[in-house]
Amino acid sequence: METSPKTRHAFNAYCFGLGFVALAIGVVLTFTTPTPDPVPMVLLGALFAIAENRCVLLANNVAVSASLMLGMAAVVVFGTSGAVLGSLVVGMCGALYVPHFREHKWSFIMSNVGICGLSALAASSVYAALPSGVTTSVESQLLIAAPIGLAYALFNFAFLVPAIATGSGTSVHELVQGFRLMCWQVYPFALLGVLLGRVYLSLGAWIVPLFVAPIFIARQAFASYMQLRAQHAATLSTLVRALEAKDRYTAGHVERVAKFAEYMGRGLEMKPAELERLRYAALMHDIGKLIVPNQILNKPGRLTEEEFDRMRRHEHVSVELMRRIDFLAPIAPSLEAEAAKGSGADPNTPIEARIVTVADAFDAMTSTRAYRRALTQEVAFQELRDKAGIQFDATCVQALIATIEARGERYGSGHEVDVVDFATPPPVVGTGSAGLGDLASEQHGAR
Amino acid sequence: MNRSVRIVGVALAGTAAGIAAVLTTTDSVVPDLAILTAALVIGELVELRPAGRAPLPLSLAVVVVLVRAATPVQFVILVVAGQIVTIALRSDPASIPARLVVSAERIAEALAAGAAYRVVVETWTGADDRATVLGALTAAAFAEIAVADIVTAVRERRLAPLRNRAADLAIVTSGILMAVGYGGIEGKGDLGLWGPALFSIPLLAAWYSFELLALTRRSFEQTVRALAAAPELGGLVREGHAERVAALATGMGRELNMSVSELEQLETAALLHHLGAVCLDEPEPGDVLDPVRVAEAGATMLRASEELAPAGDVVAAEPLLHRPPRPTEGPVAALAGMVLKVASAYDELTDGRDEHAAWAVEALYTGPGYVYDGRVLGALERVLERRGALMPMR
Repeated sequence: METSPKTRHAFNAYCFGLGFVALAIGVVLTFTTPTPDPVPMVLLGALFAIAENRCVLLANNVAVSASLMLGMAAVVVFGTSGAVLGSLVVGMCGALYVPHFREHKWSFIMSNVGICGLSALAASSVYAALPSGVTTSVESQLLIAAPIGLAYALFNFAFLVPAIATGSGTSVHELVQGFRLMCWQVYPFALLGVLLGRVYLSLGAWIVPLFVAPIFIARQAFASYMQLRAQHAATLSTLVRALEAKDRYTAGHVERVAKFAEYMGRGLEMKPAELERLRYAALMHDIGKLIVPNQILNKPGRLTEEEFDRMRRHEHVSVELMRRIDFLAPIAPSLEAEAAKGSGADPNTPIEARIVTVADAFDAMTSTRAYRRALTQEVAFQELRDKAGIQFDATCVQALIATIEARGERYGSGHEVDVVDFATPPPVVGTGSAGLGDLASEQHGAR
Repeated sequence: MNRSVRIVGVALAGTAAGIAAVLTTTDSVVPDLAILTAALVIGELVELRPAGRAPLPLSLAVVVVLVRAATPVQFVILVVAGQIVTIALRSDPASIPARLVVSAERIAEALAAGAAYRVVVETWTGADDRATVLGALTAAAFAEIAVADIVTAVRERRLAPLRNRAADLAIVTSGILMAVGYGGIEGKGDLGLWGPALFSIPLLAAWYSFELLALTRRSFEQTVRALAAAPELGGLVREGHAERVAALATGMGRELNMSVSELEQLETAALLHHLGAVCLDEPEPGDVLDPVRVAEAGATMLRASEELAPAGDVVAAEPLLHRPPRPTEGPVAALAGMVLKVASAYDELTDGRDEHAAWAVEALYTGPGYVYDGRVLGALERVLERRGALMPMR
């Protein structure tokens, strides 16, 4: 993000200002409040820094880290004794983010000193101000965890807004959305933090490792999960690319089908997990083409009867391969059935299969193939509308057309991205909506 | 009946038993025991499933609380009763005798925990001393894991590795913490049943993460295996070749002390080492695909993704049948490539059938030394001996 020197100066001034304010408050507190116990200060501070360095980034760019829990523990431990300087110091340890030091991002470090330190201090002061009866029993701890945790997160957010608003182009609106996404993780961590603070006060420092170990292990497993998920997605994309490389006449087809499927999925308000499955199904729907020899896939002229049979077999192989993957298996048989006899409008067919049918047909119509040129978008839309309820699911067709029109995108004749050089120019005929189905009716009229 | 319904059922039954106990007895421990036993049964149905290891039920952590809350007699009765209920509720394994075996294992683990706890409490002085309580709880938690390890070692005929013990550690630490929260120490920090309830949150978070990880790992493995089958379905490779080579190669890799991640790369590479075949033009009848070109096409494909690139390196190192490995290849990829080469050649030579094992190994040994590395051939022999395909030499 390119920023003007003026905003950059404002950003730096805010970051350093906040950091120095926090440090100044620290100096004042040293002389005006009780001296905090060094053991929890060092222990929680070190764990806080570790947590900041080991956060897990979720798919929607929300970072999950246990630092909130450790901050809350400090709030409780030091808020109880009134030695709120301890909370400030523990919070400041959040600035010990190694990559910032490595890249000499001093303004980031100073802003974190300010943001983390001051929000912990503020939450701790709120906690210290509570009447002492409120903080003793387990039940009241369960209740106060939510407001204190929310206050802590809000302070954090309030200090963060100016920094992000000046430092990057992110709008405040986006920030608020991010904050709302973050709120769901506040309560469990806040509760655990309050609990950790209480057991620390009653049992001592030895309880901390017992408490932190399972959380750290959960974090490691969660990070491995996120990594493996990315690996899974990458594997599939890689193999899809391999497939595309093999069949240059349908370049980009699979990725486009996945995109159209996603348009429909979003239009039909599918959940993230369902959208993920839909994407995988769309990517896999032609995977069986891997087994069709290149000579047949790329043959410019007509296919012989035998070659055509081998070409048809790929649909069966796609389904066979998908059947071996548990979470795609329920969709697999209907993809084959739909390909064979056009059950794309049957409401008993899983929605993913109906969506992929429409996406596949739309891309086939709007791309130039060896046997005919691309149709225009209008003709393709009309064809989808005409066959809606017969060959295609009407709601899917509607969702696709609505999304493409709303986004102002153009496909089809004159708007093709991957234009292929055919040795023999394809004829300008045929409005049939399925890629292979066309081939069948034109070359083997009776089939 | 699905698992969540069973869990809710057990939770309701436990709460009802707890309320009944409050109404009928004056002993304040009895309601707690009723609820802890319900927690024990629920813990049996919820398992931590770390990769490549036997699953660990969360009940192992509850046992540590129960051992502290109950008298020895109560403990034994409740553990056995809990396991009897569990036999009826378990869905995996399917057969009743198999479930009995699992429950017997669990009882053995719990009794070991109880015994370890008692021994420490009786022998160390000062029953409410911090060191005694912590020592006894730690002994109880580790005793369970030790018995579980022994059972696994007997069943699988190999010692459980000490690495990859995060799940065990989560159980042990959470179990101790839950038990500390239940009774407190030296009169402080006693949270009653809130203790185990609240301190189980980190453990549940760990369980959830492991669950997501296991699900994703399974889909990933299935995707790789499905893709491995593509060249076979296309008739380009003998059926089952990829799976057999993967099993053999990982066995050999283990013999050669390769790390877990290296073994994973080796397995992926072995499964996909013929995938390149699908990118090449079909050979004329009577011709065969050039293995170097197959491997290069496959490696190019895999190297396109960052995550599969190491497996791509292994695939690239594999086919260099008639020349020594290039110096630019990393030592790990070179070793894994050699393992893959030997495993694949063995499968070709034996046609996938172990009865030709002795002949195939001899044929491999007569090849030039730089083609079939002696160390790798030794690993092949050991794997085959263990499988019973080859008679031990000495």
